[in-house]
Amino acid sequence: MSRSRRNWNEVNAASLARSIVLTGFLALTGLCYVYLTLQLYHLGDRKKALETEVTNLRMQNEVASAQITALTSRAALQRRLKEGYLKMIPIAEHNIVRLTIPNRNPEDAIQPVSNPRSAR
Amino acid sequence: MKWNSRTRCAIVCLGFILLFSLFSFRLIYLQMIKHDEYAGLAAEKHVIKQPIFAERGTILDANNEVLAHNVPVETVVADASRLSEVDATIDLVSSELQLQRGEVTEKLRSDRRYIVLKREVAKANADSLRQKLRAKNLRGVYFEQDATRIYPNGIMLCHVIGFTDFEHKGIQGVEGSLDEYLRGQDGYRYIEHNRAGQEIVQYRGQERAPRNGYQIHLTVDLNLQNIVENEIDAAMREYSPKKATIILMRPQTGEILAMANRPAFDLNRRSDAKPEQMKNRAICDMMEPGSTFKIVTAAAALNEHKFSLDSYIFCENGMWNYGGTPLHDHAAFGDLSVKDILVKSSNIGAAKLAVTLGDQKFYEYIRRFGFGDRTGVELPGEIPGVIRSPQSWSKISITHIPMGHEIGVTPLQMATAMCAIANGGKLMTPRIVKSITTSDGKTISTLKPIALRQVISPQTANQIGMALRGVVSDRGTAAAAAVPGFVIAGKTGTAQKVGPHGGYEKGKEVVSFCGFLPAEDPQFVGLVVLDDAQTKPEQNYGGQVAGPIFSHIAEKAARYLDLEPHEEIRKAIPVERVALTSSSRH
Repeated sequence: MSRSRRNWNEVNAASLARSIVLTGFLALTGLCYVYLTLQLYHLGDRKKALETEVTNLRMQNEVASAQITALTSRAALQRRLKEGYLKMIPIAEHNIVRLTIPNRNPEDAIQPVSNPRSAR
Repeated sequence: MKWNSRTRCAIVCLGFILLFSLFSFRLIYLQMIKHDEYAGLAAEKHVIKQPIFAERGTILDANNEVLAHNVPVETVVADASRLSEVDATIDLVSSELQLQRGEVTEKLRSDRRYIVLKREVAKANADSLRQKLRAKNLRGVYFEQDATRIYPNGIMLCHVIGFTDFEHKGIQGVEGSLDEYLRGQDGYRYIEHNRAGQEIVQYRGQERAPRNGYQIHLTVDLNLQNIVENEIDAAMREYSPKKATIILMRPQTGEILAMANRPAFDLNRRSDAKPEQMKNRAICDMMEPGSTFKIVTAAAALNEHKFSLDSYIFCENGMWNYGGTPLHDHAAFGDLSVKDILVKSSNIGAAKLAVTLGDQKFYEYIRRFGFGDRTGVELPGEIPGVIRSPQSWSKISITHIPMGHEIGVTPLQMATAMCAIANGGKLMTPRIVKSITTSDGKTISTLKPIALRQVISPQTANQIGMALRGVVSDRGTAAAAAVPGFVIAGKTGTAQKVGPHGGYEKGKEVVSFCGFLPAEDPQFVGLVVLDDAQTKPEQNYGGQVAGPIFSHIAEKAARYLDLEPHEEIRKAIPVERVALTSSSRH
């Protein structure tokens, strides 16, 4: 009995515990590293997706702006006016406020002439 | 040596030592000596410099109305080596992009790795094609972001705005001359990609953001431009001239308010345009100005105090023999005051003014008014015109140049010279660019008016202005240029057209009118030039063709600018009373 007891390997509990903790810590660090790396990839993909979305939205905005500009351009409005889609009403004289002060020269002897043909 | 176990063990150990030493040396060689080279090769394979394109700046008018802007489009490209199903791809691409099947087949059957299938594909069409390719699992077709230039007003102001080529480089007009500001600066980003070609975002390297192009604000007012464009179109319908040019300028600053030429072209269909349609004739074409040039002659004579406005000059009753060559007037004038020389447009009177001044002095004034030099307007392709030095003048040049013959000037030079008269004798550099700003409105540069020189004294300019009022009166040659309620100063011009091989073409005239309004406080100067107007020969004169066009423009422009009519409006004399005899045609 005593002989077989003498052949047993004695286990150092403290050393074993240290090894287990160290191994566990290393394993956890490794897992954390893998997890964080995956997170980094995932966030990168999300960042890319958001960038693409922003780019697409910006493009849509630009396309819409271009359409608005085209539809409100002078050429387009004149075409619509010609088609009768739009109508223009002359502003009544009493609705016009003139801010320009006339520059008159009383010594000016030359009379202006009117040109009725000007209304082509 | 004993071949025992110890020896064998030593040999094996030595072998291992040698082997690992070899590995170590190779590792040191690769990792340290050749590190940069192999690192570069590896980076070349996985790291690419991705350009981030800058957006081209917009062009706006004086009221911030958009004249040129960008629309995002896509370029569809293919890599023939990566096509999965060629026939299915050809069918889909040709139908979606509306391309000829044969053309697509030819392109995709080649072994090229970069094939441009179609440029400027609208975003919606590109999205549709992308989805269909994905649904059918077809590979090898890619999409590149791009932008195309759009001109919302088409033909309007085409020569001033200009256009870009497919690489977005400005070719003509402001697009060409201010390309440096409009273009912006592309950015870049170093990216690393995986085996599938997708970017690994976390390995992004150095990055520089793009700087978008600046916005260009023109001095042109689209409302005035619209008036001018409508009138030039009406003139084209009525007179069918070969070419026509109209310019409106603000004399105090030299700002160009409107500029139109015919023939013209649609900026959005520039590939269909012919070269002669693309020419900005206001700065690239020269003409003999005819009698409008008499303002230079009279201004020089008055400024040199050789004559006063009321000095009388004998006009030889309509025919003067000078240097063995007869010079004619369109009517037999006797004594005419300097003022009436302009009002009646006497060639002999103008010639006598120049003869009194002398060759050299007259030439100096021509150059002082800016003729023979480029005006410096911010538009490409401007020509200086042709003003010969007195050394190369013939004996009779001194009698022909005063009436606008034997010289070549651009319409813009003529308008600028009239601006000097309207601006108290101060010659301003014509300008088309008002300011340059960033896309968020921060001012980069504001272009201030540039006064080139005082050409004539303010008194002389005032005197010429007074004389030019008479031109647009019942006594003058341009009664039809009048605008009810306003006093206009102006000068007509009718010059025989110079043929392509020299000499004058019979029956072909360049008619013009250059004037300003209101005469007492000029708000704008206008020039109307029609080349070879199709009308009755007895009516083909500046006062009768270009004058009324100026009148229509000036009337509408005065209304738009809210100019107060002259107080004498009620005393206006109807034009019917003006007898349009042959004496009032020039």
